[in-house]
Amino acid sequence: MHKIDPIRPSFRLEVLTAGQIQQIQAATLHILERVGVHFPSQRALQVFAEHGAQVDWEGQVVRMVPELVMGALSHAPRSYVLSGRAAGTELILDGTASYFGTDGCGTLTLDFETGEQRRSCKDDVARMARVSDYLSSVSFYWPMVSAQDFGRLAPLHELDAAFSNTVKHVQSETVMGEKPAQYAVRMAEAIAGDRERMRARPPFSVLVCTIAPLGQDPEGIEASMVYAEAGIPVGFMAMPNMGATAPAVPGGALTVGNAEVVSAMVLMQLVAPGAPVFYSLLASVMDPRTADYIVAIPEKYLCNTAAVQLAHDWGVPVLAGAFGMDTAEPATWQIGRDHVYTALMVPLAGADLVTGGGMLKASTLLVPEQIIYDDEIYHTHRVLVQGIDTGADGLALDVIAAVGPRGHYLTQEHTRQHLRKIWIPGLTQPRPPLDGSPLPDIRERARAELDRILAQHEPEPLDGAIRTELQAILDAAARELGV
Amino acid sequence: MSEEILAKLAQAVIDGEPEDAEGLARQALAGGLDPLRCINEGLTPGIDRVGELFATGEYFLPDLIIGGDAMKAALAVLEPALTGDQERKVLGRVVLGTVEGDLHEIGKTLVGTMLTANGFEVTDIGIDRPAAEFVSAVKETGATLVGASALLTTTMLHQQEVIEALREAGLREQVKVMVGGAPVTESWAAKIGADGYAEDAISAVDLAKRLAGAG
Repeated sequence: MHKIDPIRPSFRLEVLTAGQIQQIQAATLHILERVGVHFPSQRALQVFAEHGAQVDWEGQVVRMVPELVMGALSHAPRSYVLSGRAAGTELILDGTASYFGTDGCGTLTLDFETGEQRRSCKDDVARMARVSDYLSSVSFYWPMVSAQDFGRLAPLHELDAAFSNTVKHVQSETVMGEKPAQYAVRMAEAIAGDRERMRARPPFSVLVCTIAPLGQDPEGIEASMVYAEAGIPVGFMAMPNMGATAPAVPGGALTVGNAEVVSAMVLMQLVAPGAPVFYSLLASVMDPRTADYIVAIPEKYLCNTAAVQLAHDWGVPVLAGAFGMDTAEPATWQIGRDHVYTALMVPLAGADLVTGGGMLKASTLLVPEQIIYDDEIYHTHRVLVQGIDTGADGLALDVIAAVGPRGHYLTQEHTRQHLRKIWIPGLTQPRPPLDGSPLPDIRERARAELDRILAQHEPEPLDGAIRTELQAILDAAARELGV
Repeated sequence: MSEEILAKLAQAVIDGEPEDAEGLARQALAGGLDPLRCINEGLTPGIDRVGELFATGEYFLPDLIIGGDAMKAALAVLEPALTGDQERKVLGRVVLGTVEGDLHEIGKTLVGTMLTANGFEVTDIGIDRPAAEFVSAVKETGATLVGASALLTTTMLHQQEVIEALREAGLREQVKVMVGGAPVTESWAAKIGADGYAEDAISAVDLAKRLAGAG
């Protein structure tokens, strides 16, 4: 079985025309030049000032002319490779495939044994890493919940649990701040072997969230400069909430989010020209009656898909979002509807990376068996977007002639071979139990599959010396940063 | 030599190679092997293995049918060579067909293959067969089971005619009748006086075993 099985679409979806992309890009450049973005970091402001940006030191706002933006982004690579720590785990971000990963980083878990909702812990991160190591729908692992049993060092312990329990690429959205980032880089170096190998085939990448509207997070920006200098790929995710932190129109939300992400990517290229970066934008809508956050809504699906086109127009890979919808109940009509839109539209638009599998309640709650449902939707889409083979074997003209009118195809060798190649959804089309007992309910089946994976799948263990080194790094971090 | 050819016969059934199976059967007879032994120690273990692989989900329906075809191809060579007192041990003899006016074949063929694979001797009389042909096939083969398939609400009425024709021919006590097909239900089977109904080819085997007193 393949460790990872990316989606390779044979047809494409575009929600923005080329003209519309130009309109949004022009609007974004206008915002960057005239309105500016808040960068609450002395180092970042310094870098911008040195490169000719207009810096408002008191307000910590940076304004940059289009020439600065386009010049900086011209150094950003469109294609590069992310890697796991074993052969067959490379993610080649060249626009031909979509690699999906898990969701994160929640704070609540439905307990694996009791099913009771509780605060998340490091063991949850480890267990889900093992499940993700098994599932070919998961190409990269986001620690899904916070290792809350490790206090201030939780983010580094999430990395430790991830590296120890999956050979796949690990991406973090929690290791922020200059010092913790330096420890994370050391951990990635330990996994890769040395700094050069880490740069060539990074086993670790980072996603930093911007702050809408038009702002950056100080810890995130400090960390991102450390990562960019070390060669760790770093992405920026804008999350415009239409009506609250962004205009209540998709075009405006895209423009605000675009400006946040682009300004941060410019900073990376000024700090470390050629640093691998990626783009991410997930929109949502404010509930007009409660101010809650609605993620399962058409405007979000549209913006997420448009964001893929915008990223590629800037010439960088993109991390899109799928799954992880509002409701806390798996196996419902609602979750099925919501998960299908997101998980189908973004790969069809050509998203390089897609996050989101396995979480519910707007990515805050880990429901352990949810990843089994998402895996099935993923593979449904993987097959769906392959399209239709109209070559000789795909048309099967000889076989049609051999069977003729009124026959059947069951005894054809062609049938025998090709029927076996058809992916049969295991959750919705299960094999009947061998002992003739009634088929369990779909929730029981999903749970049984999760339990089977946890009981049987042993990821390739980390080398003993690397394990020791990771522990030494965690101990050093505890001494310096406190616990 | 004999052990080797028996294993090859079994493998030809497992691999679903009708031509190989037929050739091996001829080779076995030419080499002086007992045809009954070829059936019992070659073909039967082969088809049993096919059944197991299907039950565990490893084999699909085409594998099962092609395996059955391989067995049939070898049997066509071996059975005529059986001597007078030799008889292949079977769970029962079945006459199987699709009723008059109905051209649907696949479900009926699947049931036949499954029954063959499970040790029944099946005489498949084909599709669009009037009740009288079911009766004459029972007389010829001495069958104790009849399977009548119908896929249309308009043709399922003919299943009742098969049962009536068997009664009129004085054969109703000798045979058990099972009915199947998409529009057919348990209650329809009861209404027309059939002995059993099965939803699919797999449950048809259980039903046939029960009706034959073998399961």
